[in-house]
Order: sequence, then structure tokens, then C-alpha cells
Amino acid sequence: MNIKIAASAAACALAFSSAVLAQAPAAPPAWKQGMGDKFKDSPLAPNAAKNTETPASEIPIDKFKVPKGFKIEVWASGMPGARAMVRGDKGKIYIGTRGIGRVYEVTDAGDKRTNRVLVDKLTQPSGVAIMGSTLYVMAIDKVLRYDDVENKPDAMPEDITAKFNLPPEQHHNWKYLAFGPDKKLYVPFGAPCNICEPSEQYAQIRRYNPDGSGMEVIAKGVRNTQGFDWHPKTGELWFTDHGRDWLGDDGPEDELNRITKTGLNFGYPYCHAAGVVDPDVTKADKKATACKDVTKPVALMGPHTAVMGVKFYTGDMFPAAYKNTMFIARKGSWNRTQKLGYDVLHAVPSADGKSVKMTPFLTGFLDAKENKFLGRPAYLMQMPDGALLVSDEQLGAIYRISYSGAPAKK
Amino acid sequence: MLIAFFAPCLSFVAAAQTATAPPEAQACVTCHGPDGNSVTPNVPSLAGQPRVYLENTLVLTREGLRGNPVMQGLMKGKKDVQIVAIAKHFAALPVRPPAPTADKALQKRGRDLAGKLRCASCHDKTFRGREQMPRLAEQREEFLEARMTVMRDKPPPGTDTIMNATLHGVSNEDLKALAHFLSQLR
Ligand code: HEC
Ligand code: HEC
Repeated sequence: MNIKIAASAAACALAFSSAVLAQAPAAPPAWKQGMGDKFKDSPLAPNAAKNTETPASEIPIDKFKVPKGFKIEVWASGMPGARAMVRGDKGKIYIGTRGIGRVYEVTDAGDKRTNRVLVDKLTQPSGVAIMGSTLYVMAIDKVLRYDDVENKPDAMPEDITAKFNLPPEQHHNWKYLAFGPDKKLYVPFGAPCNICEPSEQYAQIRRYNPDGSGMEVIAKGVRNTQGFDWHPKTGELWFTDHGRDWLGDDGPEDELNRITKTGLNFGYPYCHAAGVVDPDVTKADKKATACKDVTKPVALMGPHTAVMGVKFYTGDMFPAAYKNTMFIARKGSWNRTQKLGYDVLHAVPSADGKSVKMTPFLTGFLDAKENKFLGRPAYLMQMPDGALLVSDEQLGAIYRISYSGAPAKK
Repeated sequence: MLIAFFAPCLSFVAAAQTATAPPEAQACVTCHGPDGNSVTPNVPSLAGQPRVYLENTLVLTREGLRGNPVMQGLMKGKKDVQIVAIAKHFAALPVRPPAPTADKALQKRGRDLAGKLRCASCHDKTFRGREQMPRLAEQREEFLEARMTVMRDKPPPGTDTIMNATLHGVSNEDLKALAHFLSQLR
């Protein structure tokens, strides 16, 4: 007991010994730069993450709707904050998270799944990518490589952070990662604010050789992309991008973009969506030209919908019409009075790639009447049998969507 | 011995007509106060904090991502259900405000700043917090000031980056005024 009290006192002292540093005056806070006066009394705030496990029995799977002939089931659960998923050659699945600082490993035993924490205590390790059995994990300030991860459960990772030259700002610099068809690692660097003129390390997509060498900036003016994939036929990179906050409920909309060549400018911070000139950072004499030479999105994805993962479907399980078309997850809005998104869309690109036709695919997460959400679909992954996995960041679950053509059982 | 030590605390809680602390929460009262209202400098009150804020914070404490070593030790190995029970307990306890002080000028400065910086859009117009946004009203003043200072200067891992962004460039004097205003809010 005495020990406990002594420890208490020490801890209390320790917690507050942090030095008070002098501060230079600076710009308004990142998230509310550009928060107009009409939002003065707005009660809008980011949605709370859920850090505790949600048991499978508490997931309202019956409320989630898929088109006729498809079926959705809870495939794995108990992984708070689950985001992007990658699958190794041997079938193990690795899942990144943000706040909770973990990367999960899921082992599929056919009829059931088990999971464990591969690594924890990282600062927002949302980026995961795998090449064979070599796993790459990227946190805001760290890059780790796990060689032969599926066979060596206790192997220590190689810390390859130094090679990547990561900039210091945290906001919007949590990662989505993927290897391209060129076997290079594609990494986004978001704008460290809601709206600002970021320094040249930010608001872009880069690619690297897997060891961190050979860095190239391949796209600029990208505010915050949290998902991309390559068209199976054309090899072009398609990416989603979040529009800025605090310009009202109806815009600027989130985006779906296509990279036809490297070096394109996608508009941030001066030109949003299909040509919305930013009222806060664009100087008066630049307004007329703010959208000049800016590559416009292929599609607008709805205002504040937080469009996340995008995946081209190449499997054989779904009807043929789904081949080489996209699934796109929208995690759902916070900066909007009436919530929007919280679904997965099916998007069919036109032959020239200049437009897409979109229809809802997975719905039921949003209760529009109550203005409440049940879950937040975030990322997509195709399994070898052609089934589609969807991660739900809010409920820490993975759903499996399969197709048999049979009508759903009542 | 433990029981003997905690007995007075438990009877205090009963006297305040509040729910009995679950066993997991009993080690917390040494620092955070028997009824969740801290009387120890630099230790925050937990009474009346939003349940989600407590849950999420305690998970991150268990993960070793935030909090101090003593709390990390206490939370180590705790199951989510136990964390939910602790959070529910403290969230439901009534708040006992700190003693009133009368620095009207500092209060006004803090109130004006909070309005200008729109703190209420997240922490609720009552500043009693909601969801993942903690209660600030009636919290211990020196705690608020110190916490804002670290969130502004070097947010520890596991801290939501939103507060770092929010306090960017706010001076030490202004943090003092904000802490005073919030702590004295009734
Ligand atoms: C040794 C003293 C001590 C003990 C014991 C202790 N805490 Fe704390 N706690 C602190 C201090 C000091 C802080 C503030 C600084 C920090 O986070 O380290 C704090 C902060 C917190 C916070 C964050 C509150 C806020 O407003 O941000 C929570 C939640 C919390 N403690 C819960 C608990 C719980 C639950 C227990 C029991 C399992 C516990 N603490 C035991 C000293 C303690
Ligand atoms: C965009 C939403 C948002 C705004 C605006 C905001 N906060 Fe916060 N605040 C948060 C969140 C979320 C946390 C919890 C952070 C964490 O613990 O990781 C927090 C935590 C805090 C804490 C720590 C309290 C504790 O018990 O640990 C203080 C103090 C605080 N905010 C003060 C302010 C003040 C003062 C303002 C205005 C200048 C403000 N906040 C504006 C979201 C916000």
C-alpha cells in the first residue's frame, strides 16, 4: 500500500514536469482554417472512433443490404479500428489501424478466423502493403519491413524509416499504401491542415522502390487520398480524395480521380472538385486562373462523404458485369448537417475512362431519419475465390460479400 | 489490507449516493478521488466525463500509448468489458466543481477566446463534452493548462491530432485564461 502511494505521487509529478515552451504566433488551427462565421455555433465535430471490441453478436448484420443474389456475413470481428487489408501468399491477412496503434494479423481456418496483434504502440500505422510474404507497415513516423512474416510470427521487423524521408506533420499523414504493377510502393502525403498552402512535401502522391530509394512525386494538388487501385486493363491509377471542410453542407464534393500520366495537378488548395475555387486561400487576382491546368475528377463522390478504399474487381465469383469495375467505400460524413455516405458503391467506368456510372452496392449503415450511423465501411479486398471483404473501421469487423445467384433466405 | 484501505473511500461513495465502484475502478480512487472528483493537484477529475472519451482513453492507456506508467500498469491486461465498466462508472458520477475563485478579467479573456476559437463546436456549448470530446467545465484548472500545453507543443502518441491543430499558436497566457474560464464555468 505504501508502495502504491509513493508510486502515485511520483507519477503525478512526472506527468506534469513537461516544460512550457515559448510559442511563436501562427496560423489558425489546421482543421478550422476556413471555418466561416456561419459555422460559429455549429455543433459539427468529427465522429468518435470506437477503441473497444464489438462482439460479433452486437453487429447489426441483418441491417446491411446487398443486391439480390449477393450475401453478406460477418467474417472476422474484435479488431477495433480495422482499416486497409492485405493478404500474403500463404493466406494471412494484415490490417492497419489509426488511433489504437496496432496492426492485426488474421489467420483463416476456413470455418473461422482468429486474430492477433502483430505490432502495437505505433503512431497511426494505417499503411500496410505486401509483396509475396514481405509486409510493409507505415505509421506517420515509421516504416517497418517484416520479411517472411507469414512463417516467422516472432520475427523482429527491419526499421527502414530513414530511407523514406517522412515529413514531420501528423495531420492527414496517416497512410494508405499499395504496390503498383511496376512493383513500386505508392505513398500519399496529405495536406497537414483542412485548407492551407502546404509546403512542397505535402498534398501529393509519391512512389518509391520498396527499399525507400528512387522517390518520385507522381501527382500534386492531392488533399488527402486514402485509397487507390490500378485499372486491370489500362494500368492507370485511380484514387479517391477527400474534399475540404467548412464550406457548407453541399461541397466541395469528395473525388474519384484517374492518373493518365505522372506530374498532373489535381487542384488543392486552390481548385476543388469539378472547379470550386477556394475562397480562403486564393488571392483575388488568381481567382480566374485557379482551375487552369488542373485535372478534374472523373466523378464527384458526394460532399464530405469521406471516400476511402477503391478496388477493381477481377474475380470470377460475381456476375460477369462486375469484372474490371470498381467498388468504392465511403466511410461517411461528419462536416455535414445531414449525414451522408456510409456505404459501398459499385462504379462502372466508361471505355475511355472519362466517366463512371455509380450505384449503391452495400447500404444500411446509415439511419437517415435518426441521422445516425451503425458502422463505417472503409476498405475492400478481393479474396482468391472472388468474394469481397469489406472492413468496418467503427465496429472493428470484416464482412464477406459473396454471390451465389440465389435469392436471400428470409 | 487493501479492503481496509479502501473502506473509507467506499463509504464515501455510498454517502454521495453514487453507484459502487466496480472492482477494477477501486485502484483509481487513490489519485482521482473516491467519488471521481480529484482533490490532488495535476490529477484530473473523472466524474461526469463522457463515457466514450473514458473508454477510448483507457484502451489507449492499456495499449501503453498514453497516460502515466502507474495507470498503464493498472490497465495492463484489462479486458474491454472491464474498461467499459470503469468508464460507465465514472461517467455517471456527479461533478463537484473546484472552489470558486474570482478573477473576473481572466474569466472574460478565456470566455472570449473560447468563443473566437470555437471550442464549443466540439466540446459542446456547455463544455461538458460529448462522445470522444472530454468535459472541460469544472475540471481542475492546473490540469487543463498543463494538458493543453503538451497537446499544443508535443502531443504524446495516441492523442487525437485535432487538439494539436486547434491550439496551434495559442500563447501560454491564453492557455492560462482558457483553463481558468473552463475550470470556473458553472
Ligand atoms: C498514480 C496516480 C493515478 C492512479 C492510481 C490513476 N491515475 Fe489516472 N491519471 C493520473 C494523472 C496524473 C493523470 C493526468 C496525466 C496523465 O494522463 O498521466 C491521469 C489521467 C487519467 C485519465 C485522463 C483524464 C482526462 O481528463 O484526460 C483517465 C481517463 C484516467 N486517468 C483514468 C484512471 C483510471 C481508470 C485509473 C484506475 C484504473 C487511474 N486513472 C489511476 C493519475 C493516476
Ligand atoms: C474539432 C474538435 C475540437 C475542437 C474544436 C476543440 N477540441 Fe479540445 N479536444 C477534442 C478532442 C477529440 C479531445 C480529446 C483528445 C485526446 O485525448 O486524444 C480534446 C481534448 C481537449 C482537452 C483535454 C482535456 C482532458 O480532460 O484531457 C482540453 C483541455 C481541450 N480539448 C480544450 C479545448 C479548447 C480550449 C478548445 C478551443 C480552443 C478546444 N479544445 C477545441 C476536440 C476538439
